[in-house]
Amino acid sequence: MGLTKRFGDVVAVDDVSLTLAEGETVALLGPSGCGKSTLLRLVAGLERPDSGRLRLAGADVTDVPPQRRDVGMVFQSFALFPHLDVAGNVAFGLVEAGMPAAQRAERVGHLLELVGLAGLGARRVDRLSGGQQQRVALARALAPDPALLLLDEPLSNLDEQLRQALKGELARLLGALGKRALYVTHDQSEAFALADRVALMRAGRIVQLGPSEELLERPVDGWAARFLGHENVFEAAPRSVLPTGAEGLEALFRADLAALLPADEEHSAGGHAHTAEAVVIEALREGLGWRLVLDVPKWGVQVVWRGFDREVRAALGLAVPPGAPRPGASLVLSAPPDAWRLLDGQRPAAQDRAARSEGDDPK
Amino acid sequence: MAHVAGGAAALYLAAFLLVPLGVILARGLAPEGVPVGAPIWETLTNRYYLGRIGFTLGQALLSTVLTVALGLPTALLFARYRFRGKRALTAAFTIPFVMPTVVAGIGFLALAGPRGVLGVDLRNSLAIVLAAHVFYNFAVVARLVASFLERVAPQLEEAAATLGAGRWRTLLRVTLPLALPATLAAAVLTFIFCFTSFGVILILAPAARFATLEIEIYNLTARLLQLDAAAVLVLVQLVLVLGAASVYTRLQARLAVQVAPGTAERPPTAGSRIILGADLLLAGGLVLAPLAALLVQAFTSPGGAFPSLVNFGNLLNVRPTLSFAGLWPALGNSLTFASLSTAVALLVGFAFAYAVARGGWRILDQASLLPLATSPITLAFGYLLTFPMLVTTFWGIPLAHALLAFPFVARTLLPALRAMPKQQLEAAALLGAGPVRTLWRVELPLLRSALLTAAAFAFAISMGEFGATLLLVRPEFATLPVAIYDRLGRPGAVNYGQALALAAILMLLTALVMLILQRRGRSEF
Repeated sequence: MGLTKRFGDVVAVDDVSLTLAEGETVALLGPSGCGKSTLLRLVAGLERPDSGRLRLAGADVTDVPPQRRDVGMVFQSFALFPHLDVAGNVAFGLVEAGMPAAQRAERVGHLLELVGLAGLGARRVDRLSGGQQQRVALARALAPDPALLLLDEPLSNLDEQLRQALKGELARLLGALGKRALYVTHDQSEAFALADRVALMRAGRIVQLGPSEELLERPVDGWAARFLGHENVFEAAPRSVLPTGAEGLEALFRADLAALLPADEEHSAGGHAHTAEAVVIEALREGLGWRLVLDVPKWGVQVVWRGFDREVRAALGLAVPPGAPRPGASLVLSAPPDAWRLLDGQRPAAQDRAARSEGDDPK
Repeated sequence: MAHVAGGAAALYLAAFLLVPLGVILARGLAPEGVPVGAPIWETLTNRYYLGRIGFTLGQALLSTVLTVALGLPTALLFARYRFRGKRALTAAFTIPFVMPTVVAGIGFLALAGPRGVLGVDLRNSLAIVLAAHVFYNFAVVARLVASFLERVAPQLEEAAATLGAGRWRTLLRVTLPLALPATLAAAVLTFIFCFTSFGVILILAPAARFATLEIEIYNLTARLLQLDAAAVLVLVQLVLVLGAASVYTRLQARLAVQVAPGTAERPPTAGSRIILGADLLLAGGLVLAPLAALLVQAFTSPGGAFPSLVNFGNLLNVRPTLSFAGLWPALGNSLTFASLSTAVALLVGFAFAYAVARGGWRILDQASLLPLATSPITLAFGYLLTFPMLVTTFWGIPLAHALLAFPFVARTLLPALRAMPKQQLEAAALLGAGPVRTLWRVELPLLRSALLTAAAFAFAISMGEFGATLLLVRPEFATLPVAIYDRLGRPGAVNYGQALALAAILMLLTALVMLILQRRGRSEF
């Protein structure tokens, strides 16, 4: 029986089971409204589940209020206390734990050093930059040395550049701490950069759980494939490509594995099993490369292909600048056998069983 | 155009606020045209006046402490818990805030006066004065603090919980410290209102030992004609109140906080339900009992029959005297003055807000709280000294009312004007509308609800204004509050009944205006 939480008629978290291994970071990834934040709040004790149990460090904590749960949380808005300075914020949980003042000051200093804010203890929190506030929030959550760290979209309130910088830093820190952590995000690149395993959530359920490579290589269904950034997901595979028996299954075309060749080279495509003539429908510049929409009559579909100038120019016989692909141009798309795959992935239940056996500390 | 508006608003404030205050200052410091310390020294060393200052301060502090003691828990409960009847109660708690002082006074008289329904005569006791002050200011504290707490992100309290703080520890270490500036700001406002208390005390505790500075100034001016001593007391009061007001503005600047993305409301737990129930019973009783008593007694005949319309009938059949010509003249005066002062206050208030928001007139912005710190008696006293001719005309009262309503109007219009997106004005300009056309076709239509709120404020303030009117009034211009006070000052059950009936009418009129307020936007207070 997994964890379930309803709000009125809406099932926000629907029969979810998840176990974290020692020192593991799991990302809860999904679109807004998928229940990932509610799941995090259930774990924190800020919401009570309608059914299911939570276990932490061997003890059932389902009925334990948040203040006695030994869980640290970094909020999306940081939720720093505006009436306390940086040190006061970090020390908040230590005061509640009854730590003596001298020891407290030492611990606060240690944590501020850890997050790169040494010497800023007396600063007012509203005088900090967004990145600094984020670090204070992290230090505050870590101060009481919780058994589990929860992070609710901790980077979403920061600008793009800062997010990139902090992403790497946070990944190193989580690795170094060796603490169990649950990380909520809607940004797949954050999830893949930070987490040992990613739990892809949709409509209150975990639809796929595994290391990032596994999710990217074998998305469980069309929705998962699209959410993870695959652009060529089809209701059904072209008959000419896949064996019979694949009817009714969604299919994914990995355009990143395919190559563009000049139109007259169809027969010299060599080792690639799937070659097909294609016509450029639309060409949009994307930074140093192109995003091409190609019509492939042989497969009866249109596919999106992205690549650099060099490849496009070679396939279309274009001059070095200012040559650009034009709609109507013909070429050949050459794909290896595994570029087309059926989305008949494992069902979530099977993954749960796999996951449960991994952790020694069910929760 | 903003500068024309700014100039007009500045001129108005200078003529009808600064000049009268300056005249009082001159009168107090230099009664004979030359600066002399004698009147100040005499007044400030006079044991009687010192006693009045002490009493005024003491009762104001005590009232403030009691108001906060009741208002703060109510604000905490209202900001955090969801329960049935909350909206109705919120509306009910706002009633005293807009009720005229005279209505509040009569309400408590009907409850615990010599003829009160409770049967205990608390007239001329400190208890009834304090109760009326708490009644009057409770909503100020509860609303100001609750609306602040509603804007504090609930994540702050959740963060405290994940850091090991239970409910009471969170209250102590997060919620109360966060609410402190708002609570202090509300307390300072309450202190100012109670410090300059006039109508409530005049009605509930007319004995000399309960006279506040405001009452003392009124007596010195209207009865004893000792204008020099009055001027000195006005100065003392002004210094103390302005000091408090500057604390208030400084606190208001600290009220910017994290805005909550969601609501923090939750159903009350079993323990908090008991506290909530007790609080609501106490607060609800305090707010509703006097008003209910007023209504019950207004519909009770002098002979004791209930329900009866005799009191209202008596109003229509009075033999006109110099000071009271019956219901219709009083009602007519009240409505006329209220309409005029609303028009003036709206014009000046809009000119003010426009100049501050569009023309960057920061000096005006800082001046807008000055009228709030100027008590009605002070203002009327200044008008008497400065414009003796004006006061004998019809215009003295509406001009004073307009000035007293001005800070409320200005503080309602200014945020609305500031919140207006700049792009809309720029779009209007690019579409060919000049500043005047933009004002007419874009800004005024967008400000409609704020203007309506401001108008309702100004109207209610003028309808209920008592102190300044009493000092400036001539018999033929008597308003409803003045007529009520007149009836109350005469012996006998018939006069008392008429006072109650008049108060009931004033109360219902004010409630009507408040209904408009409730349905429209909010102000900055």
